[in-house]
Amino acid sequence: MLERGALRYTPAGLPVIDFRFEHRSEQAEAGVMRRVECEMACVALGANAHLLADSKPGDGMRISGFLAARSLKSRSPVLHVTTIEFLEGNPNGFQT
Amino acid sequence: MTIVRVALDIPLSRCFDYLAPEASATDVGRLVRVPFGRGEKTGVIVAVPGHSEQSPDKLKPVVAIERTLPALPPDWLALGEFCARYYQHPLGAVLNFALPPLLRRGRLPRQKKEKPRSGTPPAVRPALLAEQQAAVDAISGATGFMPFLLHGVTGSGKTEVYLHAIEAALARGRQALMLVPEIALTPQLEGRVAGRFPGTRIVAAHSGVADAARARGFLDALEGCADIVLGTRLSIFVPLPRLGLIVVDEEHDASFKQQDGLRYSARDVAVFRAKQHDIPVVLGSATPSLESYCHARNGRYTLLSLTRRAVAEAMPAVRCIDTRREKLQDGMSAALLAALELRLQRGEQSLVFLNRRGYAPVLACSACGWISNCRRCTAHRVVHLADRRMRCHHCGDEAAIPRACPDCGNQDIHPFGRGTQRIEAALQDRFPAARVLRIDRDSASSPRKWQALLEQIHAGDADILVGTQMLAKGHDFPRLTLVGAVGADAALFAADFRAPERLFAQLMQVGGRSGRAELPGEVLIQTEHPGHPLYAALAGHDYHHFAIAQLAEREQAGFPPYAFQALLRAEAREVAWSLEFLSAARALAQPLAGEEVMLYDPVPMRMVRLMSLERAQLLVESRSRPALQTFLAAWCNALATLKASRRLRWHLDVDPLEL
Repeated sequence: MLERGALRYTPAGLPVIDFRFEHRSEQAEAGVMRRVECEMACVALGANAHLLADSKPGDGMRISGFLAARSLKSRSPVLHVTTIEFLEGNPNGFQT
Repeated sequence: MTIVRVALDIPLSRCFDYLAPEASATDVGRLVRVPFGRGEKTGVIVAVPGHSEQSPDKLKPVVAIERTLPALPPDWLALGEFCARYYQHPLGAVLNFALPPLLRRGRLPRQKKEKPRSGTPPAVRPALLAEQQAAVDAISGATGFMPFLLHGVTGSGKTEVYLHAIEAALARGRQALMLVPEIALTPQLEGRVAGRFPGTRIVAAHSGVADAARARGFLDALEGCADIVLGTRLSIFVPLPRLGLIVVDEEHDASFKQQDGLRYSARDVAVFRAKQHDIPVVLGSATPSLESYCHARNGRYTLLSLTRRAVAEAMPAVRCIDTRREKLQDGMSAALLAALELRLQRGEQSLVFLNRRGYAPVLACSACGWISNCRRCTAHRVVHLADRRMRCHHCGDEAAIPRACPDCGNQDIHPFGRGTQRIEAALQDRFPAARVLRIDRDSASSPRKWQALLEQIHAGDADILVGTQMLAKGHDFPRLTLVGAVGADAALFAADFRAPERLFAQLMQVGGRSGRAELPGEVLIQTEHPGHPLYAALAGHDYHHFAIAQLAEREQAGFPPYAFQALLRAEAREVAWSLEFLSAARALAQPLAGEEVMLYDPVPMRMVRLMSLERAQLLVESRSRPALQTFLAAWCNALATLKASRRLRWHLDVDPLEL
């Protein structure tokens, strides 16, 4: 996790948290392994939002979810987090 | 066989003749019970004609004439006839409306002799300033019909002028009628009047008074034993045989115009009634309507000016805050927040004025574009976060805030824009130690709650008030020294030609709440148009400058008060039906209009749907009021013959306030 906003609530009372995530991994591409890095805007709702509200920038985790446009106006994708796995004892946050 | 002509509350403009063996001319103005259709109705005898146009054997006898009550006087019937004629409304319906509900149903209040109020000595009467004294002298010295426009800046003590003028009228043995916009908003006024005139019978006439008390007050006034009638627009119809003075306070207020049924303007009817009784009438305001101001300028009304505040040293300093280049925090600028903080430190009260209740005016899904539209109106449902509901402010339609967007399922939906609840939350967040009090129709939903809120403010148990226009009129909060107006710009470019007039009045009134006592006041207006002439006039406290500029624009554009208007509105399930009806009405109007009356085209109303009905309107305009009146009378007769669908409703609004 790079940075995160404060826990907020939808009008119906559901917790939401917006955060940025830095991804690092190694992937195969045309038969060759390579290193991959990127940054991604993420959002988590409900129980996941509470989980993330307790974490801090620098914490490592493995997340997955689905992509959706930020809004009608801005079509760049935001990762909506559906599963979170905290990577303990791995302070660099490297995923293997 | 004697015949009586009876006005009945039915949607026909004609009256009905009945046989009444023992009736005489003295029965004109009496209530009468008559058979009608399969039942009975209560009506008013408007004439005892020598003969009927119907053959006598077709006439039915009356059931009973109510003779225990005094007959309604001829001038009262004439007032009803005037309203029926002017507002193109059936006479029976007008008279029925003018009667208190109990009498309408043909019932009488139980006899209960009002105890004479204990003769406590009058409350301390503040000394009048020279301008106030001059105004009182002019009003009390008037003989016969004389309309006055009392233009007094906020806090100049207009009420004191009214009270002195009423005192003079009472001393001459006359009755006084005082009209105020909404009595619920100024509960202290009734107490103030009662305290000033001990030993007099004061009648309150407004919709909040219980039926029996209202009927008793009406009868007391009719019998001449009430001295002062204090009420809202409906009190203009209370019969007063010894009437000597009419006062209309806040005469610019839109609530004097009724928006359904008999669409009368109590202010305009007050002027007619003063003329009818040949007495003075005082229209008072800090921001007179342009109609009244125009009359004052051309000499039809006598202008009385109060240019100085009675208690405070000076008018509040008015300043615009340019928000064009600033990133606002929850809609509030750094300058406004700093000013609020300063008041908190000094232990003074502030008011943040935003004329929009609820949390946010709309709930929207940023993923798919869904917005919280009302199912029945062309309007959005407003987010009320306090009770987690969204509610249409036009029809009352409401639902729980959905957990997810109903269209696409996105749960992260957002309230957009700002209402009083949101400002309240933001201020509480920013100033956790401050006591933030929200005052709007949601928090003051009943007179008792409203009273409790007012007491809380007066007791100093609130630091920051967040309020709508409810707080704008008539209140004196001595410790209130700052008024901040948020989101005023919206009204600056509204389509209605009266929008600037209303915005100016509203800001002037709400700004006038600040610095009314010893502490100096300040008014901050957040705007993206700091150079706008309306704000410049506000900053200079220059009503005249603003009004003259507005009048010049109106004259150029041919708008009221330089033209007279009437609006035919139709509503049906589909706007096409409404437009079709109006086109037919327009065709009927064409041969009647003549050269002096201008017919516009039927158009859908700006807010087309209301309560599942789609509305359209047809504007008629003339530079001559008599020409318009002559046309309207003929047109209304013709309209009655027009076969409209059962599912279409229409009405005519003479001198409409909103187009």
